[in-house]
Amino acid sequence: MFAFKYKREGAYTEERKERTEHLPIEEAPVPDLLIFPLAMHIGKPAEAIVEVGDKVKMGQLIGKKDGFISANIHSSVSGKVTDIKEAATMHGIGTCIFIENDHKDTPAAPLFQGEAPTDKQARIKLIEDAGIVGMGGATFPTNVKLSPPPGKTIDTLIINGAECEAYSTSDHRVMIEYADELVKGIQILLDLYPIKYTYVAIESNVHDSIEALEAAIGDDSRIKIKELETIYPQGAEKRLIKNLVDREVPSGGLPADVHALVSNVSTIRQVYQTIAYGTPLMSRVTTLTGEPVKNPKNLLVRIGTPIQTLIDACDGFQSKPGKMLHGGPMMGKPINSGQIPITKGSTIITFLPKEEVVADERTPCIKCAECLNVCPVSLQPILISNAYEQGDIDEAERLGAMDCIDCGNCSFICPSNIPLLENIRKAKGEIKARKENK
Amino acid sequence: MKLNTAELSTTASPHLFSRRKSDWIMQQVIIALVFPTIAATYFFGFRVLLMVLVGVVSSVFFEYAYQKYRNIPSTISDYSAVVTGMLIGLSLPVTAPLWTIVIGTAFAILIIKQLPGGIGRNALNPAVAARVMLKVFFTPWITDWVTPGADAVSTATPLEYIGHFSKSVSAEVPNLMQLFFGFELGGNVGETSKFAIILGLIYLVVRGIINFKIPLLYVVTVAVVTGLYSSFDLTYMMTHVLSGTLIFAATYMATDYSSGPLTPDGKTLFAIGLGVLTALFRILFNFPGGVGFAILIMNALTPVIDRYLAPRIYGHKKRPKVLKTT
Repeated sequence: MFAFKYKREGAYTEERKERTEHLPIEEAPVPDLLIFPLAMHIGKPAEAIVEVGDKVKMGQLIGKKDGFISANIHSSVSGKVTDIKEAATMHGIGTCIFIENDHKDTPAAPLFQGEAPTDKQARIKLIEDAGIVGMGGATFPTNVKLSPPPGKTIDTLIINGAECEAYSTSDHRVMIEYADELVKGIQILLDLYPIKYTYVAIESNVHDSIEALEAAIGDDSRIKIKELETIYPQGAEKRLIKNLVDREVPSGGLPADVHALVSNVSTIRQVYQTIAYGTPLMSRVTTLTGEPVKNPKNLLVRIGTPIQTLIDACDGFQSKPGKMLHGGPMMGKPINSGQIPITKGSTIITFLPKEEVVADERTPCIKCAECLNVCPVSLQPILISNAYEQGDIDEAERLGAMDCIDCGNCSFICPSNIPLLENIRKAKGEIKARKENK
Repeated sequence: MKLNTAELSTTASPHLFSRRKSDWIMQQVIIALVFPTIAATYFFGFRVLLMVLVGVVSSVFFEYAYQKYRNIPSTISDYSAVVTGMLIGLSLPVTAPLWTIVIGTAFAILIIKQLPGGIGRNALNPAVAARVMLKVFFTPWITDWVTPGADAVSTATPLEYIGHFSKSVSAEVPNLMQLFFGFELGGNVGETSKFAIILGLIYLVVRGIINFKIPLLYVVTVAVVTGLYSSFDLTYMMTHVLSGTLIFAATYMATDYSSGPLTPDGKTLFAIGLGVLTALFRILFNFPGGVGFAILIMNALTPVIDRYLAPRIYGHKKRPKVLKTT
């Protein structure tokens, strides 16, 4: 009875998934004009290899990866390149390729002819060619993750189905409707690496996806489903590794440093599609939801589709939206144009009702320590925030500002409305800037 | 309805916020204080309500007046002054003149809370500091203990029988049931019924307002230290646990946010420290009030505790080296 938890390592946010969690994935309409930002992944933007006026086929390479951490981009329709110019994207203004859809879906040649290669390096190369990046939102090139530096062997594979953001149901639906492809994708990776532990991490609130996966796994005893507490940010990579195999990624390090590989369910499904059929990453499942949306949906969307097309597919709004987010309400990026296209990391577009977008007045800190209680990496957010506001960047760094994972729990929980995460971000910015100047 | 992008807010994440605000938290503490207030009114009569009222009104007045005078934003709407006022009203005996309550709240609000910068900045618990100050300077007026009832006779508190090197409980001490429920017991009005206080404690824990380990470790430590001293005489231990202001202070004062540690391990050390000091004061000295001194000492040590017990950050081997704790 005294098993009280004073350290929660998360916050119990409302889930708000009920409007879309039971809706089957629908194919979204394909628009007349698609927009392909050259930077839709972490790292260097791809290089455009088409010119205005070029005809392209569906699946044709249009942006070539530039450097080690970068990714290929393929057209998701057939048609004509009408423009290559700066436009609004999820990550600010960036160069985009505009393609006019001829609605014929004339396919380009697949990434390989005949049988898929079985050799490990050839398969990783295939994943690289297909432009696969982390589809859970981080958009880190998957082939890089799959090629850890020598000495850093992978013994643990964690398939991240812990969709901890409120409203978000795209991974949930993928696990139910593409369970077979997901499991085949996992098996492809298991054949490539001497992996000892394979876990599919799922939050306890999504029982139907657990059932679907169990059926798909069948008697493959290598793959274990791990049901986790529904608590935000359960799906954060560092916390998953800690909770599942009790290892901590060293500060500033990568999961490979503790022999772990964490990958989102949609990414693994895409790996299967690529290895089985030679299909590059051209579409993904994105949820468009929130109270203001009239008919929220889980949509199978061609990469490059402007958000407005999806809004129309959901019959517009029933009330005034106050915020449009690329991502969920805890970590999502606010955006303000319907012309911004869906990209590889677009798990969800969330609309928040106007009445929820309120700026409560900041009041003095009452030292309740809730920000410490909910921090998934055990920081003292209020002290970092204070240090930043006092101009003491050294202290902010000593307090571990750089270890912050941006989850937003501290600002969420603060009863005094102190912009904790905002201050920590600014402190991080100054620490980075100082390091670069040295 | 069409998307009007001009109406969209673009403030950075997170975009949702908990509805638990500071004023709500303080309201929960007030609700939890209603339990001992009702019990005290039952045992000592309606004068208790007058004492609480005087405490609340004077606390809020002093906070309002100070902030008006200094021309800084008023914080009376966060209800923290109400909590301090209730605590001071409840931590005096029913015979205490009302002016002692006013002196107590003036000291608590003006000197202890507002001078260092108001809510969240005070190093000492305002109510405890006020109580100790009154004890030191106004003893004759506030330590005339009476047992409840029409014939209100002056009595000694139970602690005077078990403190100061005695190792067993003499016959004059009320039995444990009396101590727990507060029947025929002298003392400060709020602390008499441990039963009512525990109801308040449960409320605060269920609401997630206080960290249960602080009152638990505090009381358990007192039991262990008095147990070690008395060769684990259970009646002696339990009499210590149930006597005086221990349970009241463990619930409402040791759990004060501002004057206690921020860090999880700090809270543990703080609570154990409180228990050790309280038990030692009671055993070594011939005066009641060990709890108050123990809390003030641990309050004063809090910055040091927090500095050395900063939580180890994920992915690091050692605790961070921290220079500031506020």
